[in-house]
Amino acid sequence: MSYGSHRVLDGLSIAVPAGSITALLGGNGAGKSTTLSLLLGFVRPNDGRVTVCGVDPGVEPDHARGRTAYLPENVALYDHLTAVENASYLLALSGNRPSRAAILDAFAAAGLQERAWDARLSGFSKGMRQKVAIAVAWLREVPVLLLDEPTSGLDPQATADFNALLHAIRVRNTAVLMVTHDLLSAVDVADRIGFLERGRIVEEVAATGTERFDIRALRARFGERARAA
Amino acid sequence: MPLWMHEAQLLLRSRWAAAALALLAILSAAAVAAGMAEIARQRGAIAAIAPAQAEDIAAVRAFVDRSKDGGQAAYYSFHPTWDAPSPLAFAAIGMRDVAPYILRVRALGIEAQIYDGDTFNPELALPGRFDFAFVLVFLAPLFTIALFHDLRSGECEAGRARMLEAMPGAGRLWWRRAMVRFVAITAALTIPFLAGAIWSGVAIGAIILIVVVAALYLLFWIGLAGLVSSRGRGSTANAATLAALWLVLVLIIPTLANVVINRTNPVDEGAQIALAQRENVHRAWEIPREETMRRFYANHRRWSDAPPLTEAFHYKWYLAFHQNGDESVAARVRAYRAGLERRAAAANALGWVLPSVGVQALLTRLAGTDLTAQLAYQDRIRAFHRRLRAFYYDYVFYDRPFGASDFDKAPRYRATG
Ligand SMILES: Nc1ncnc2c1ncn2[C@@H]1O[C@H](COP(=O)(O)OP(=O)(O)OP(=O)(O)O)[C@@H](O)[C@H]1O
Ligand SMILES: [Mg+2]
Repeated sequence: MSYGSHRVLDGLSIAVPAGSITALLGGNGAGKSTTLSLLLGFVRPNDGRVTVCGVDPGVEPDHARGRTAYLPENVALYDHLTAVENASYLLALSGNRPSRAAILDAFAAAGLQERAWDARLSGFSKGMRQKVAIAVAWLREVPVLLLDEPTSGLDPQATADFNALLHAIRVRNTAVLMVTHDLLSAVDVADRIGFLERGRIVEEVAATGTERFDIRALRARFGERARAA
Repeated sequence: MPLWMHEAQLLLRSRWAAAALALLAILSAAAVAAGMAEIARQRGAIAAIAPAQAEDIAAVRAFVDRSKDGGQAAYYSFHPTWDAPSPLAFAAIGMRDVAPYILRVRALGIEAQIYDGDTFNPELALPGRFDFAFVLVFLAPLFTIALFHDLRSGECEAGRARMLEAMPGAGRLWWRRAMVRFVAITAALTIPFLAGAIWSGVAIGAIILIVVVAALYLLFWIGLAGLVSSRGRGSTANAATLAALWLVLVLIIPTLANVVINRTNPVDEGAQIALAQRENVHRAWEIPREETMRRFYANHRRWSDAPPLTEAFHYKWYLAFHQNGDESVAARVRAYRAGLERRAAAANALGWVLPSVGVQALLTRLAGTDLTAQLAYQDRIRAFHRRLRAFYYDYVFYDRPFGASDFDKAPRYRATG
């Protein structure tokens, strides 16, 4: 995949199985967001294949997007609408019409304080916006969830809430792909971590045992990059 | 809640968009109200003609009754004519603002009476009176630009475009939004007009036609906004480009075209015709009276068997040289009229390629307030004047006494001629 003559992804091969969380780790400009753009059908690969639930998002974008929930790097919603209105609008766009009660349940599950439910978004922190967006993704009940730097800028409590909801989503047999430059956030939730470098995955590690990942070892090997990011 | 209602909520909850729509509705309502007030004033003036006329004629009748001189009756009697406004006139006042819609005429030379103080120039859609046509042609495009210049770029700049476009059916999203905004702006613009039109008793066909034309005109601007936005630049750049296009399409080209059309179709000032007619009339005092009568009878054989003039002043000579004065400027009147019609035709032709001019022309045409309607009124005045002259000539040329009851026999102007 290239933008003009600028080759961004080159020989990237990745599969995200249902019911798992895959983290794609890479520094700034490594091509993380571009990977998500491919999966959403925003851009098309020069060669190679992209499939989401068996369809090519470049060819049938509506089909792929109907099965995909996506949280962009910076969640921007409508400041002049309330949290509930934002959620019901975005859900309506994707063809979902949940009840108000269902929306409130999802907000509660995402850890959004009750007093924020019917407040306009203009006063919301980044974390609160993120919670509205993840609640929308939760309610869409789609088989694929794409997350771009989902926890960057969140405080520890918000990160924990987020991770908890992510696990609940995975349990529904959702394929989750999150891209991040932050090793710790990947280690927190991922079942598998792929290291993206020069447009391809240079190493892949899977969680094992109760310790899941050997953070110390990962740090040692990728610490330079993580610190650079 | 259906999606379009979500979109409507999204639009109306934006304070800026809601304020813009409210302002457009207020401006449209104010223009409709102002137009209706002006037309009501004109109708009032027309309604006041009859009682005033009765009073004036009563005075002339008392005076003339002593001499029974038909010449005096012709000289002193003014006869009102008027151009009643159409029900739709409130929406596009057009020429009714600059040209007289009431003219009291005598059986003397008509051209000077028509062109006296007439300095109007039929113009292209230059900003004029604050009426619905003005709001539609000049202001509505600005509101359209305000609501459409950032339809997509605004979402990009707010950082929402990627998320929105990641939704299924993202392509339809922009169409749906454009449709909701189009309906909102059309409603804000035309609902006050609809109220005014129904109140004024405008025919349903004309109402529908105007609403459709207004909607098409807005669609033209929406299309332009879409075209400019599709170049993928920021909202500010889009707004600046569209504002420049507004300036060019609505103000600059029509103004320049007006200058060019007027230069290439030179016409006399109407006042100059009045002056020429008056000079010709006054020259009659210096030329032999028989020559005046010969000229008159040559064109008006019907009265040529009238008794010849004596030494004393006689109104038949006076009326004859007035009529001769009219006939002496007939060619100039025809040329003036043809020139005006050429200008109007050129402006209408421009209207086919320039929507702002076309919409203005169509509205004044439908409202009967354009140059064509104004010239038709002048024709009705001239036709009435012919009847008036014939009526008085029959008395004056044969010295038939003009009694009090004869005043009631004078022709009366009918609005249709
Ligand atoms: N629309 C685009 N046109 C041209 N080049 C682009 C475009 N989007 C991204 N790039 C380039 O592609 C490369 C990868 O960008 P991408 O946004 O995928 O990186 P990333 O891994 O998400 O980085 P970050 O951590 O900063 O978000 C970068 O060099 C970027 O400059
Ligand atoms: Mg990125």
